[in-house]
Amino acid sequence: MTTSISATKAGLPPAPPAETARRRFTEIVAPYAYIAPFFVLFAVFGLIPLLFTFYVALFDWNPIGEHVFVGLDNFSRLVGDVRFWNAARNTVSIWLLSTVPQLLVALVLAHLLNHVRLRLALFFRMTMLVPYITSVAATAIVFAQMFDRDYGLLNWLLGLVGFEHIDFTQSVAGSHVLIAVMVTWRWFGYTTLLYLASLQAVPRAIYEAAAVDGAGNVRQFLHISLPALRPVIVFTIVTSTIGGLQIFTEALLLNRGAANTCGPIRQCQTLTLFLFEQGFIQFKFGYAAAIGVALFVMVVALAGLNYFLSTRIRPVKG
Amino acid sequence: MKLRNVSAVALAATAALGMAACSGSSSETPSGGSDDKSFEFWSFTGINAKGSAEEYKKIRPDVQIKLTEVGNAQETAQALTTALAGGKVPDLVLIQGDDLPKFVQQPQNFVDLRTMGADKIKGDYLDWVISQSTTKDGAIIGIPTDVGGMAIAYRTDLFKKAGLPTDREEVGKLWPTWDAFIETGKKYTAATGKAFVDNAGGSIYSQVVNQGDQKYYDPAGSLVYEQSPQVKTAFDLALKAVAAGITAKQSTFTEGWSAAMKRGDFAAIAAPVWMLGSIRDNAPDTKGNWDIATIPGGSGNWGGSFLAIPKGAKNPKAAWDYIAATQSPQGQLDHFAQARSLPSTPSVYQDPKLTSVKDPFFSGAPIGTIYTNSLLGLKPFLIGPDSTTIGIEFTNAIANVEQGKGDPAKAWDAAVTNIKTAIGG
Repeated sequence: MTTSISATKAGLPPAPPAETARRRFTEIVAPYAYIAPFFVLFAVFGLIPLLFTFYVALFDWNPIGEHVFVGLDNFSRLVGDVRFWNAARNTVSIWLLSTVPQLLVALVLAHLLNHVRLRLALFFRMTMLVPYITSVAATAIVFAQMFDRDYGLLNWLLGLVGFEHIDFTQSVAGSHVLIAVMVTWRWFGYTTLLYLASLQAVPRAIYEAAAVDGAGNVRQFLHISLPALRPVIVFTIVTSTIGGLQIFTEALLLNRGAANTCGPIRQCQTLTLFLFEQGFIQFKFGYAAAIGVALFVMVVALAGLNYFLSTRIRPVKG
Repeated sequence: MKLRNVSAVALAATAALGMAACSGSSSETPSGGSDDKSFEFWSFTGINAKGSAEEYKKIRPDVQIKLTEVGNAQETAQALTTALAGGKVPDLVLIQGDDLPKFVQQPQNFVDLRTMGADKIKGDYLDWVISQSTTKDGAIIGIPTDVGGMAIAYRTDLFKKAGLPTDREEVGKLWPTWDAFIETGKKYTAATGKAFVDNAGGSIYSQVVNQGDQKYYDPAGSLVYEQSPQVKTAFDLALKAVAAGITAKQSTFTEGWSAAMKRGDFAAIAAPVWMLGSIRDNAPDTKGNWDIATIPGGSGNWGGSFLAIPKGAKNPKAAWDYIAATQSPQGQLDHFAQARSLPSTPSVYQDPKLTSVKDPFFSGAPIGTIYTNSLLGLKPFLIGPDSTTIGIEFTNAIANVEQGKGDPAKAWDAAVTNIKTAIGG
C-alpha cells in the first residue's frame, strides 16, 4: 500500500513536511479506525461478559443478595454433579445425531443440485432455505405436535399400520432423535447452499472431461466435488460443532410439562439448558457461570479437534 | 482529504459507541418525576392487567400507570431479579406465590410496606397468606392480591355415560377422601375404558401436599420434606392413582393435555380457581359440560400472587396508593366479580356479591362459595426458598413412573436423591 501511494506521489511537487507527517499518521490510523467498531462492540458484548463469567464462576453469587467468594468450589461441585455429566452426555449425543447426518445429506444434495438438470432449480434451492428462516420456536412446537404420543401425526400413521405408539419425548433415545431431526431440518438447507456455492466455482469442463473418461456420478462426486469442497466442509464442521453444542430452544420447548429439565428425568437437558435452569430458574449465578466456563472449554476443544482432523484427512488420490 | 474525513468520522463513531456503552446503565431520564401521580407497574400476561389499571383510572383519573405485561409469572420474576441485580426497577411489581420466597429471603431489595401503612391493614388478609410475604423480622414486603382455592372440575356428560352421578353435591359426596377419589376413577375407567384425571403429579400430588399444616419446611425453617407425613401421603396417593391406571399421562399445560381436554379424554381435573380460565380457553366447545365439586379433604390452596414495591422505586407513594385502593376487601371483591380472582380478604366471603357469582361455563356452579369454602380452616405452613425446586423433583419422579419409565418402588428414594443434588444439601 505504501509503495503504490508513494509511486503516485512521485510525479507531484513535494508537499510541505508537516502535511506529509499528518497524512502519514492518518494513513496508519485509518485502517484501525475502520475495524474499531467491531472490536469495540465485541469487547463490550463479547469479551467483557466472557471475562466476567470467569470471575462470577468463583463466587456463590446471588443476583439479588450476597456474593461470597468460594474459589474453585463451583467447579469441584460441578465435577461431582451427576446432572452436569448427564447434560454433557446429552449434548454430545444430540450434536452427533444432528451434525453427521446433516452434513452428509447436504453433501449429496449439493452435488445433485449442481449436477442433475432440474427444472425450477432456483425454486428448489430457495425452498431449502425455508426451514432456516422459520423461527426455531415455531419449528419446535410443530415437531413436538407431530411426534406427540397420543395425538401426533406420526404415531397416528404408526397406529394405522398396526404398531404401538412411540413416546418420543419421554425416552432418552427418542427425545435425542427428535431434537436432532429438528436441528437437521433447520440447518441442512443452509449447509447445502454453502456447498452448492462452492461447487459452482468448479469449472464444468472438469466434470465433462471426467464423464468422457468414463467416470460415473459417484466417482465424479468422490474425486471432483469432494476435494473441491474441502475448505467449506472444514468450515461447516467447525460452525456446526459450535452451534450443536449450544442447542437450547429445541430442548426447552420439547417437554412443556418439565421444560427447564427437558423432561422429568432430564432425558434431553443440554448443557445450555442446564445453565439456564441453574442461573435463571434457581438464581445460582456462580454455579451457572461455572457451567458456562465448562461449556466454553468443551466447545474450544472439540472445534479445535475437528479442525485438526478435517484438515488432515486428504482425499484419496486416484 | 476525503480519507481523513472518513477516518475522523469512524473514530468519532467509535468513541461515541464506547461512551454510550459506558453510560447506558446510568442514564436516568426524569420521566414523570416523583410527583406521586405516576408509577411503573410490572404485571403478568394473561390476567387482564390492563383491565385492573383501567379500573383504577376510574377512581384516580389524575394518576398515570405505565403498565408492562412482562411475560408469564416466572418470566416476570426473572425480569425482576435482573432489574434488582442492577437495572431500572419498576415502582410496583406482581410476584407469584411460588416465586415469592426467593425475594422474601432478600428483603433488603424491597420497601417494608409497614412504613407505608401495611401494619394497619394486615388484619384484612388471611393470616396464612400474608405470613408468606412477612420476613422473620416482621417486615411485610408484599400484599396478597388473590388466593388459589381448590376444587375438582368434572365433565357431567362423561360422568353420565359412565353411570356416575352428575349433581355437584352428590359428586362431592363420592370422594370425601383421596382414596375414594381414586376408587371413583377406577369405576369410571372400568366403565368407559378412558382415563379419569389428566395426570397424577398435578391433579393428585400437588393438591394433597397443599392440604396439610406442614409441607417441606417446619415452622422454624428447617427442611423436613423427608419426614413430613403429608408429603409422603401425597406421593403415595399419586403413585396409587398411577398404578390404578386412571391417569391420562398428560402433563399440565402441554399440547397433549389441551388436546385431551378438548376431546374429553379425561373426565376430571383438579382445578385451583385460576385453572377455570385455562379450561375455558383450551376447550371452549365443552361449555356447559363441566361442573365443579368440592375437593377430597374439603380444603386447600394452590397459588396466589402478591404486590411488592422494590426499594429503588421512584414513586413508592403512588404505587402504595394503588395497592391500598385496589387490594382493600372491597377492591378485591369488585375485582372478583369481573376477573374471577379469589379475594385474599375473608371479610367479604359472605358478601352476596361473591356468593351470587355463578359460572355458566361450569353449569352455573356457585364458584364464589365453593372456592372460599375450601379456604376456611386452612392452617399456614412455611414456604421456603427451595419449596419450588423440591416440588418439581417430587412431581418429576411421579411423572417418570406415570410415563412407564420409572420403578414405583424406587421413586421416592430417587426423588429424595435428586432433591439433595438440586438444593446442594
